Amino acid sequence: MRLLLTLVLAAAPLTAQSVHARLEGRIPAAALPGIDSLIEQAAAENLPTEPLVQKALEGGAKGIPVPRLVNGVRHGLVHLRTARAIVSRTAPGQNAPDGDVAAVAAALARGLDPQLVERLLIGAPTPGEPPGPVLHAAADLVAHGFPADSTADLLRTAQQQGLHGARLLDVAVAASHELQREGGRTPAEALARVRAMIPNVPVAPTAYPRAVTRRVGRGS
Amino acid sequence: MTLIDSRLQETLDGERDPATLPAELRDAYARLVSAADLLRHPPAISVADRVMAEIRAVPPSAGRRVAGWLARPRAITLRLRPVWTLAVAAALTAVILLPGGQSVVPGAEEGIAQFVGHFPGARSVEVVGSFNDWRRGALSLSDEDHDGIWHGAVVLPTGQHEYMFVVDGERWVADPLAGRYVDDGFGVGGQNAMLVVRP
Repeated sequence: MRLLLTLVLAAAPLTAQSVHARLEGRIPAAALPGIDSLIEQAAAENLPTEPLVQKALEGGAKGIPVPRLVNGVRHGLVHLRTARAIVSRTAPGQNAPDGDVAAVAAALARGLDPQLVERLLIGAPTPGEPPGPVLHAAADLVAHGFPADSTADLLRTAQQQGLHGARLLDVAVAASHELQREGGRTPAEALARVRAMIPNVPVAPTAYPRAVTRRVGRGS
Repeated sequence: MTLIDSRLQETLDGERDPATLPAELRDAYARLVSAADLLRHPPAISVADRVMAEIRAVPPSAGRRVAGWLARPRAITLRLRPVWTLAVAAALTAVILLPGGQSVVPGAEEGIAQFVGHFPGARSVEVVGSFNDWRRGALSLSDEDHDGIWHGAVVLPTGQHEYMFVVDGERWVADPLAGRYVDDGFGVGGQNAMLVVRP
């Protein structure tokens, strides 16, 4: 137990050092202390820190002024806390995986209502399935003007009919196609048509261009 | 056939004194006598000996021999069964024409992201995003035919990625064709494009 505690206490400063090294030279020096502090808070709360590092790097690359840059990272920390609370409520007694927390935070950043997020996570028929795809599908549907309740019902039906992962994105694509069909359909009509297709919604075509770059140098 | 002058013939036969010949025949007589002398005395070294001596005197270097071998035209005969010929042709066609002929294949947890943007007159367009730590210069789009349509593709981990186009190194543009956008959180309504990479 003592060894475990020692390891945990030692790991936090190591994380902070490596994050500091990634940020140094990429963001204004004046922003470093504030951002370091926010990332340390996230680590201390067992929240994923990578989304905050990415937000800081993004702000630095875009030349965002220091106060707004720090606020942007703080905003990200708020989303992560909300996300962790949602994940914890939907899976009580379990540690919230970093990936799930980050996926929920990203959905909140896309403007998805926290109640809808929670509803989708609670209703997931396959426990342990990563929530990213269903949340993206929901965010896509809401962004196209579909009501939150109908969106949740449609995706629940799709999951119950055996659609998982990226196939849920096909449901959202099919709904938006139905909405844009010539002659015009209301959101309710489009959802009804897609519901009738499930589980045989069309699969989005896979891109396979001739020239592909293998790596793009993340973390270098 | 040209007949030889009878006076020249008599002189060559020793029946006439060369001094009695007219001037133009005396020259001809002198050339014929010289030629007869050459034929009467064979060369001291045979032609074969002289050629062999030449070869021994200048041995070609190894490099010159290789270059000579490579430069010398040769006839190559390939004997292929028609079925093998067709198979080789089909394989070459597949490598050249089919999209599956490329060397980059995504792994199980990867997918291909394609980027296309219409930026007529742009000098450069690059993609900067969460997949490359928002680092400039990691992924440039190309416009080989200069029609203003810039494109590129990259293998990325599956999942969501935020990104922006950077045009001419200074103008940040959210991909108009992304379909998904997210507030960048910096407080002035800026948006990032978002893509979800599928396996």
